[in-house]
Amino acid sequence: MKLIIAILFALFFSGTASSQECSISLTGHVEDADTKDKLPGAVVILKETGMQLVTDNKGDFIFKNLCIGEYNLLVSHISCESVVRKIVVSKDLHIDIMMPHARNTLGEVIVEAQKGITNTGFKKELSGKDLEETKGLSLAEALSKINGVTMLQTGSTISKPVIHGLHSSRILTINNGVRQEGQQWGNEHAPEIDPFIADKLIVIKGVDELKYGSDAIAGVILVEPKPLRSTPGYSAEFNTVYFTNNRQYVQSVVWEQQLKNLPAFRYRIQGTFKKGANAATPGYRLNNTGSEEKNFSITAGWKKEKFNTELFYSQFATKLGIFIGSHIGNLTDLQNAIASSRPDEVFLGETTYKIRRPSQEVTHHLVKSKTTLYKGEHKFNVLLAGQFNHRKEFDVVRNSSNTRPQLDLSIYTLSEDISWEHPKRNNFNGVVGLSMMQQDNTYGGRYFIPNYFAYTFGGYFIEKWNKHNWELQAGIRFDNKSINTTRLKFNSDTINYDFNFSTLASSFNAIYKATEKWKLNLNLSLASRAPYVNELLSDGIHHGTATFEKGDITLKPEKSVNISAGINYQNTLKTFHFDLLLYSNSIRDFIYQQPRPENPVLTIAGAFPLIEYQQTDALLSGFDASASVKPLSNFEWESKLSVLYAKNTSINDWLILMPANRLSNEISYSFKEAKKFSDSYVAVEFLHVMRQNNIPDERNGKQDYKVPPGAYHLLNFNASSAVSFGKTKITIGIGIRNLLNTTYRDYLNSMRYFTDEMGRNISIRVKVPFNYVYHYL
Amino acid sequence: MKMKKIALSVLMAGLLITSCKKDKPEEPNEEEVITTMRLTFVPVGAGATVTYQFDDPDGPGGVAPTQDEIVLAPSTTYNVTLQLLNKTETPVEDITLEVLGEKEAHRFYYEPTAGSNITVSGLDNDGNGVPLGVTSVWTTAAAATGKVKVTLRHYAGIPPNKAIGDLVNSAKSSTDIEVDFNSKIQ
Repeated sequence: MKLIIAILFALFFSGTASSQECSISLTGHVEDADTKDKLPGAVVILKETGMQLVTDNKGDFIFKNLCIGEYNLLVSHISCESVVRKIVVSKDLHIDIMMPHARNTLGEVIVEAQKGITNTGFKKELSGKDLEETKGLSLAEALSKINGVTMLQTGSTISKPVIHGLHSSRILTINNGVRQEGQQWGNEHAPEIDPFIADKLIVIKGVDELKYGSDAIAGVILVEPKPLRSTPGYSAEFNTVYFTNNRQYVQSVVWEQQLKNLPAFRYRIQGTFKKGANAATPGYRLNNTGSEEKNFSITAGWKKEKFNTELFYSQFATKLGIFIGSHIGNLTDLQNAIASSRPDEVFLGETTYKIRRPSQEVTHHLVKSKTTLYKGEHKFNVLLAGQFNHRKEFDVVRNSSNTRPQLDLSIYTLSEDISWEHPKRNNFNGVVGLSMMQQDNTYGGRYFIPNYFAYTFGGYFIEKWNKHNWELQAGIRFDNKSINTTRLKFNSDTINYDFNFSTLASSFNAIYKATEKWKLNLNLSLASRAPYVNELLSDGIHHGTATFEKGDITLKPEKSVNISAGINYQNTLKTFHFDLLLYSNSIRDFIYQQPRPENPVLTIAGAFPLIEYQQTDALLSGFDASASVKPLSNFEWESKLSVLYAKNTSINDWLILMPANRLSNEISYSFKEAKKFSDSYVAVEFLHVMRQNNIPDERNGKQDYKVPPGAYHLLNFNASSAVSFGKTKITIGIGIRNLLNTTYRDYLNSMRYFTDEMGRNISIRVKVPFNYVYHYL
Repeated sequence: MKMKKIALSVLMAGLLITSCKKDKPEEPNEEEVITTMRLTFVPVGAGATVTYQFDDPDGPGGVAPTQDEIVLAPSTTYNVTLQLLNKTETPVEDITLEVLGEKEAHRFYYEPTAGSNITVSGLDNDGNGVPLGVTSVWTTAAAATGKVKVTLRHYAGIPPNKAIGDLVNSAKSSTDIEVDFNSKIQ
């Protein structure tokens, strides 16, 4: 969370503009003076002209067609004290504005925990316009707009984020400050988070990941909601999205208020409803690919000078259909299904919203309380969270009157995090924290993972130092996790295994701002992840892949050494920008699934190929590069390239199921502000995804049922405009995914064995905000 | 004092964390398990009744299943009844009843290899006159060895649309059981 403070509009009057040459443009960039973070959403007012605009997601703004003269520029941002700058304009001008933190304005101390130390090593963020374009999509689909993040999918309804080739338990997802705990180990278990909660989606790699665990081998995803209201009043926002391909409609409403007579109390209520019918590929419509989602959250905050507390509750409930032609009885069926280039007609053509078996129903509840106390310049945080995740998977069953799930997993998680942030001294600031987590998992129905209790105790220490052009950060964390498992056998016997793992992590980060234009960043992170229960003890048939998965109780924690180096360049006019991130993640005892074709498991349904969890050494290296150019002030061209090489170094072979390299080019055109229309733009994206040729060699046994699909190119389109109706500014957007209705398959979608990807999908979104500020007389 | 408050809240949180007790795990109701397929051969005329089975009492995985060889007398006709069991339940569950309850959505196929000298015919029908195959008639010829594959196909569609001409690999149905027995006529 960020700083919050009431914005005071101090108004200054001065100067008169003389009009001779009125074609000057004034560009500017707004940053947080302390954290050097770009500040999107800052309000910039040119007093004399009455012109007002909001900084974009890079913290930039531009005023055009100004006359020569003297102006007062007023800049305000929710996290900062307002700034007034007197400027003399005689030719095109660029100014940088450093916004000071509004620590003590209005005699109120900032409360919400501002992450203590805001700088992070490597940080990629999705907010503002880019986030807006993803409204109605899943969390992973939204995140995949970030360079270096891809998706692991099961059809069109289930998607999980992949960072630099790694996913599931190697990524920590932090939902509103709480480490999300569900059954995140499964490839077809999507994160149980409503993206409408988020104001920002952030991916970080660096010392700050130590606050959440020692196991962030791939990185951390932060789902950050907007801070609660900071001015007495109320506001509401309605979001509606409709997608043509699967006739999916999305409704999201948020209402928030800060009371007039009790400004310390603020609250927000938010809800989302989503429902989609069967999705269509360019050639056919897939039966049973509908989805439904009902989410709800409520936040209440109490803020005083030295004390701040927040209570949050959220509920996520989803029901997902799985393409019926992919549910496989045995290996023969699977081979038959894979061999045909098009699914059988019996699985195609229905246009219904109805969801039948096979399907998933998942609910996730989160209750969180966060309290911050200030003692002088010391700051103490106590975060308590309870989570309940219930996952039910419904297979195709023999008995049609059976309404029960075949896989039924419930996991309760209680966690506590306590931290102390010491005052800034000699350019040092830092945080020490302790965390505890306990989990209780139970299963019903078919065995896949056992019942277990898990206890994790951890502690961390992070220090950050910055002076002049340098920022140095270092941190260390230790965790101990014990797991007591119980599996019930049919004859009432139990099989018990107990495990205990200690994991150590540390991180060092150096940032050097060579000049205003150049920034260099180097990070070294050691992370270590204890094996998950599924890796240790899974034992059963996986229907999606017709394999028999078997865990290994002798697995050790995997340890990674990640080195990242970043170079950042931006010219003074902000018309050119270049960003390069090189990474190398060397993982010892990398846990993966090894097919054992020579050793099939015989069952009454035939022989299933065996897949065993085992460990090897792996090296994942690659780079993410992006560049943007603004040849004209209205035009922007942005290019993103993401390349990954993932090797199993023990046997000098490639790792399976790694995202293919991709290149995206986007050209956007922003329209001039017109009377009723503002923030108008159109953008076209060309996405080129290469074929994954780096796959494991068959000499180590048969690893896959089908060779990776070919390269594909997609054309996507986006347009948006804010239309003023009186005081209300309604934003209307249109998005077209796969404009040319291209037929393709993606290597990281398990449905690639059976079906093509979704065809053209046009979405129309409307956002209606209301805001009312109480007036004091 | 603020410090006391901090200490208090930390303590309370600690209590919350540790006050969760360990409770006894409940018996999971594992479903859809078929552990055993039993074929009972009653010879027409003289001869003893014989029973052969595929048996995996702990379900998929764990201890490997056992599978009998089907040994039949030459030039004999057998009335064969198939039975499915779930031995992971106590008492043992008869899954055949479930299949008979939804005849229109199930179908057994019997495929003797060429040269096994076995022919399978006379399958019982469902309510629509489409073969079901819980009972069948096996006829043997001269001494030979071979294989007989027994497959249970399940029609998940609503309605199932099961038809006489459906092949064993019809896309309308999926496999619940597939067992390849060795056969010997002696």
